[in-house]
Amino acid sequence: MHALLEVKDVTKSYFENGKEFKVLDLVRFDLAERDFVCVVGPSGCGKSTLLRIIVGLDKPTSGAVLFEGEPIRADNPQVAMVFQSFALFPWLTVQQNVEIGLEAKGTPPEERHRIARKFIDAVGLTGFEDAFPRELSGGMKQRVGIARALAIEPLLLCMDEPFSSLDPLTAQNLRDEILQLWANPDLPPKAVLMVTHAIEEAVYLADRVIVLSSRPGRMIAELQIDLPRPRNRKEPEFYGWVDEIYSLIV
Amino acid sequence: MSNSGEGDGRTGGVTDFHPIAKVSVGQILGLVEAIDEVGGVADVATISQEVDMDLDRLGPVLGAAEFLGLMTVEEGDVRITDLSRKLLHANVRERKAIVRDIIDDVPVFRLITDMARKAGRPLSRQEIIEALSARVGSHQAEDLFKALVYWGRYVELVRYDSQSEQLTLRTPSK
Repeated sequence: MHALLEVKDVTKSYFENGKEFKVLDLVRFDLAERDFVCVVGPSGCGKSTLLRIIVGLDKPTSGAVLFEGEPIRADNPQVAMVFQSFALFPWLTVQQNVEIGLEAKGTPPEERHRIARKFIDAVGLTGFEDAFPRELSGGMKQRVGIARALAIEPLLLCMDEPFSSLDPLTAQNLRDEILQLWANPDLPPKAVLMVTHAIEEAVYLADRVIVLSSRPGRMIAELQIDLPRPRNRKEPEFYGWVDEIYSLIV
Repeated sequence: MSNSGEGDGRTGGVTDFHPIAKVSVGQILGLVEAIDEVGGVADVATISQEVDMDLDRLGPVLGAAEFLGLMTVEEGDVRITDLSRKLLHANVRERKAIVRDIIDDVPVFRLITDMARKAGRPLSRQEIIEALSARVGSHQAEDLFKALVYWGRYVELVRYDSQSEQLTLRTPSK
C-alpha cells in the first residue's frame, strides 16, 4: 500500500555560469489520505519550488515525487493547485473559469455545468456565476480558484500561499471556510498540501507542519499539531506550537 | 424571517447602503470571527492590533458590521451580537440566508427590486443609475450601483449581466 504522495529526497539546484545554487536539499515526507499538511519556512527557502516539483510543473535535480506509487505527471487530474495570484482568466465568467479544468478533462458540457455549479455553491459563490473576475473582491477571486481546483475532484489539493494576497480579515474568513469544506467528507480532496510563510496560519490549519530551513531548504522538523478543532489562536497551547516553530526557523 | 428581534444590534430603521458599499462580506465575517476569538468584546485599538489593520482600513468594516446588526459599538468597545453568533455557527448557505434577510430590508435595495418587479422586465444599468441619482446624487450613484449588484448577487436576489448591462431578479437556490 503506497502513501498518496511520496516526496523522496528531493533536491533542486539551478546552475548559472557553472555555479550551483541549491534551493532544496533532500526533502523527504509522505502524505496519506485525510492529511492536511503545511510546509513553512522563511522567504526564499524553496517552498514554492517544492510545490511546483510536487505537482509535476518542475523537475527535481535528484530524488523523486511519487503519486499513488507512480512518478508524478503535470497533467495528473488527481492533483489540483490553488495559486497565490488566483490565476483566473479575466475574459471568462466565474462559471467558465470553474469549468475550465473539466473541459481539459473532456467532461461533456452538461456535466461540466452541473459539477461547476456544485462547487461554486460549496464555496459560497452562487449568485456570481455570470460575474467576471474584475467584478469580484479578492476573497471572491480566490473562492473561484478553490472551486476550480475542487471541480476536477482531485485526490490531492495543493495550495501555494493562497491567502497571502488577501487583506487579514478576508484571509481569516477564507481560512475558516476552507476548514468547513475540509470537514465535509462528501467533498474532495482526500489530502491537502499547503505552502505558507505564515506560521500562525499553518498551526491554525494543519494536522502536520513541515518546517524548512532557509536556503537551501532542508527539513528541520515535522510536527504533528494535535490541537482540537476549532482552534483558538489565543490559547496558550496554540501559541506554544507557534513559538516552537519560530524558534526552529530563527 | 426578521432579524430585528432581541440581540440584534440594529437599533433603528436602515436608511441607506453606504456603510456596506465598499466592504466585502468576507471582511465582515473575518471581523466577526476575530472578535469572537478574543471573547466577543474588545476595544477598537485591540481589534486593530489583533487583525493587523489600521483604523483607516478597519473603520469601514466596523461600520458595515454595525449597520448589518452584527456588532454594537459603545464607549469604544465593540461587542458582537446574537446575530453574529448565529452567523458564526452557520454554514456558507445559511450565512447567505441570514444576510439576505438583512439586505432585503434595506430601503435602497428594495427600491431597485421593487422597480424590477413592477417593470416585469430586465432593468438597464442606466435606468437604475438614474433612480439612484435621484436619491443619493449622481456622484454616489455609481458606487451604490456596484454595491447593490455585489450584495444582490451574494444574497442571490439579483442577477446582473455586465456585458448587456441588464439586471434581473432571481430566486435564491435552496
